[in-house]
Amino acid sequence: MIDIVFYVFAIFTIGSALAVVSLRNTAKALFLFFFVLFGMAGLFIFALADFVAITQIMVYVGGVLILMIFAFMLSIKELLASIQDNSSRLFTLPNWQSLIVVLGFFLLLSFAITDWLATTPNWISANQKTQAILQPTDNNIEQLGFRFMTKYLLPFEVISIFLLAALIGAAHLSRKEVED
Amino acid sequence: MITLTHFLLVSAALFCIGMYAIIAKRNAIMILVGIEFIINAAILNLVAFSRYDRAEYGGQIFALFAIVLAAAAVAVGLAIILSVYRKHQTINPDKITDLRD
Amino acid sequence: MNVNFHISPELGSLLVVLLPFAGFLYQLIAGKQARSGLIPSLAMLVSGLISVAFVFPAIWNKTPFSVELEWFTIGQYSLGFGLHLNNLSVLMQLVVCLIALPVHFYSKHYMKNDPGIHRYWTFLSLFCTAMLGLTIASNLFMMYVFWELIGFASYLLIGFWFDRPAAVQANKKAFIINRIGDLGFLLGIAAVFTTYGSLNLLDLFGPDGLVRGTSPLSEGWATFTGCCFLLAAMAKSAQFPLHVWLPDAMEGPTSVSSLIHAATMVAAGVFLLSSIFPIFNQTVLLLTAIIGCFTALIAALFALTQHDIKKILAFSTVSQLGYMIASIGMGAWDAAMLHLTTHAFFKCLLFLGAGAIIHELAHFKSNSGLNFDPQNIQFMGGLRRFMPKTFLLMTVAALALAGFPLTSGFLSKDAILVHSFQWAQQAGGGTLLIPLTLSVVSVLTAFYIGRMIIKVFMGRFHFQKETEQTPIQEATSGMLLPMGFLALGSLAIGFSLHPLSYHQAYILTGLSAATIATESSLIPIVLPIILTLSAAAGWWLGWYWYIRQRYPFSESNKWIAWSANQGYLNQAYERAITNSTLRLSTFTYWIDRNLVDGLVHLSVWFTRQLAFTSAWIDRYLVDGLVNTTAALAYQIGHLLRGVQNGRLQNYLGFAFTILLIGIVYLIFK
Repeated sequence: MIDIVFYVFAIFTIGSALAVVSLRNTAKALFLFFFVLFGMAGLFIFALADFVAITQIMVYVGGVLILMIFAFMLSIKELLASIQDNSSRLFTLPNWQSLIVVLGFFLLLSFAITDWLATTPNWISANQKTQAILQPTDNNIEQLGFRFMTKYLLPFEVISIFLLAALIGAAHLSRKEVED
Repeated sequence: MITLTHFLLVSAALFCIGMYAIIAKRNAIMILVGIEFIINAAILNLVAFSRYDRAEYGGQIFALFAIVLAAAAVAVGLAIILSVYRKHQTINPDKITDLRD
Repeated sequence: MNVNFHISPELGSLLVVLLPFAGFLYQLIAGKQARSGLIPSLAMLVSGLISVAFVFPAIWNKTPFSVELEWFTIGQYSLGFGLHLNNLSVLMQLVVCLIALPVHFYSKHYMKNDPGIHRYWTFLSLFCTAMLGLTIASNLFMMYVFWELIGFASYLLIGFWFDRPAAVQANKKAFIINRIGDLGFLLGIAAVFTTYGSLNLLDLFGPDGLVRGTSPLSEGWATFTGCCFLLAAMAKSAQFPLHVWLPDAMEGPTSVSSLIHAATMVAAGVFLLSSIFPIFNQTVLLLTAIIGCFTALIAALFALTQHDIKKILAFSTVSQLGYMIASIGMGAWDAAMLHLTTHAFFKCLLFLGAGAIIHELAHFKSNSGLNFDPQNIQFMGGLRRFMPKTFLLMTVAALALAGFPLTSGFLSKDAILVHSFQWAQQAGGGTLLIPLTLSVVSVLTAFYIGRMIIKVFMGRFHFQKETEQTPIQEATSGMLLPMGFLALGSLAIGFSLHPLSYHQAYILTGLSAATIATESSLIPIVLPIILTLSAAAGWWLGWYWYIRQRYPFSESNKWIAWSANQGYLNQAYERAITNSTLRLSTFTYWIDRNLVDGLVHLSVWFTRQLAFTSAWIDRYLVDGLVNTTAALAYQIGHLLRGVQNGRLQNYLGFAFTILLIGIVYLIFK
């Protein structure tokens, strides 16, 4: 039963992703990106990473996606006009060379994954024996909080400075030219 | 049973879609979207493996950091796209082929 | 003056030739300014005086004079130039001077307003020089040189009015036919030189000359030699069939016709034959007689129906020349020379008179505005009222031509005819035909000249009405005086003390041919009487037909037409000779154009094709090779250049492709 839900979510996500890269209208594509991200969040739930899912929705959807849509919509008219493809077709024709490369990659990856995961890796089987696997009843937030404040404190601080730098940088890059 | 393989396959598919978007789309914003797909695929990968890591929660921590990085990347990327548009009047990467003279 | 001032005959004859030549040079140099002709006339006058005073008396019936200087040497043979003066040559010289002088004075008035008169004097002087030079020539080659010059001067003078196409055609015809004669002369010279080894007249024909001594190489060779010289005389003296140039030569001025084509140039043939008479054998002489006789007959027949006054006189000249040639053929070259002399006077007078008539009628034509041919006798008539003196003088000349007694013509014609009958008696057989024909010709001569006189001077003038406003003038005295001088020469008194017997003619006593000894006593008396009566009858007949208008023949009578068209000889020549020559020249022109030039064009075409081929090879193969190499390099470069197009996504795509291929390879290794 739960598998079907997973498959639904997976197909939903991948389908939306395919639609995103196929649609001609960029605005529609960006809205579909919205669905992809929600689908991803669902998939995170299946991996028992509820905090990550929520964070995904909050940051990605509520932040990144909104940023992109605002940037797209509130941009200069000429920018919009140059990226609006006014042909009547709905889907773009795929670029065949890229398609072949991408399919090749997918085949390669899937082959590698199935081949490698034919035998369960040692550490996973070791953890499975000692029950060190996440349970659905675990309190993820509490455990994550502990880890953030003790083991992963340095990356936490660094990333806040990084965010500051990114903020300043983005703001500087997009400032208007000073009119002399 | 949802095994690790399923997650990884979905992640691989999303990764490839993202790669297609980067290589084949004629729109800088769509390239950015492709980058987002790839990062999302990586995050899914991390989260899938963290299921078997109760001791350290390493995957999930990394996933959170990756989300932050992705956001920062988008912000800066959009700023760059704006700057590029101001210079070249287009955001079709095929048109932006000359080095600065 | 003669006593103190003496010129030797040799110097005199040199001067006689060189003075007109000086006149010629003066005219050449002075050009258009020298229109009066004073210097040539003066030169001719002095020449005439020298000839009359110093040359003729010194040589005639005295010792002949001959000198020759070496001119050039070829191998063993040498040719010279010099003087040869004997009775014959000084007589000829005197005739030329005496005829040329009046013509010079007459020309001054006749050609007065002609724009080309300076050229006229030049050519006239040249002619006089050449003719006089012919008379003093010492060898055959020198004679040939002057012979040619005469022909050339005649060509220049016939075509004097060169803007008339008829004149140009006529002078071409004259020159070409004279050339045929010149060919004969040259062949004769070659034959004589081969046979006798010398061309000097004294050596050949002198009292102990080579011709009498050496026998010729063969009879056929001798005949050939004689025929060659006969051909020369036939062309120059207008014998049948080479006579056709003389009627056409009337295109020249009338004074020219009187001098050249009546008296002197055409007589050169007779002079030549008389000079070299010993060279002819019996065959050639008989042939000469036949030709001369036939010419006389046919020319007289043609003269009967001509309408142009000058053409009547031209045919009359041909006929009289036939008499002279026939006389030579019958052995009496002295009688021929006598006839030449008398004929020169009265024929020249006839021509000058005709010239005066034409001159006055041309004036009348321009004054009255009528449009008619002033030379056509059908438009004349009754002119004796307007031009009485001309009428008188021309009648005298006509009587001389017809052979009436008391004229000089009577003497010379009598001499020839009597001799011809005696010769025929001697030779026997069918040769009697010749004297009979000559007698008939004499009657015809009287008729046609009578016709001319009657139609021109008697009856009523054709344009009588118009003469009331614009009368016809008499000829000026400048024209009449020379004519008068010539008329004196037409009277018998000038030639013989006894007007009716030719035996005492001065000329005949000087020249002596080997005449036939026997004489029939009847013929010398009977013949002149018969001839005179028939001549008178002929004149009466002419008066009857033309004045009384009882002309029996219709306009379109076939015989009249045959005679008026000169026996259609010109047309026959045109068809036979001229057309075939033209066709030959067209054919050779075609050959030259198409074959010779065609060969050149063909080689040009080949070379061009070769050039085109090599150009093609160069452009497409050689250059093509180079261009292909360059294009190949370009295409490869172009292909490889596409890798570096600055497109980010292309670079990424390439990178991922290589990555994929690399990983796949590593997996399958």
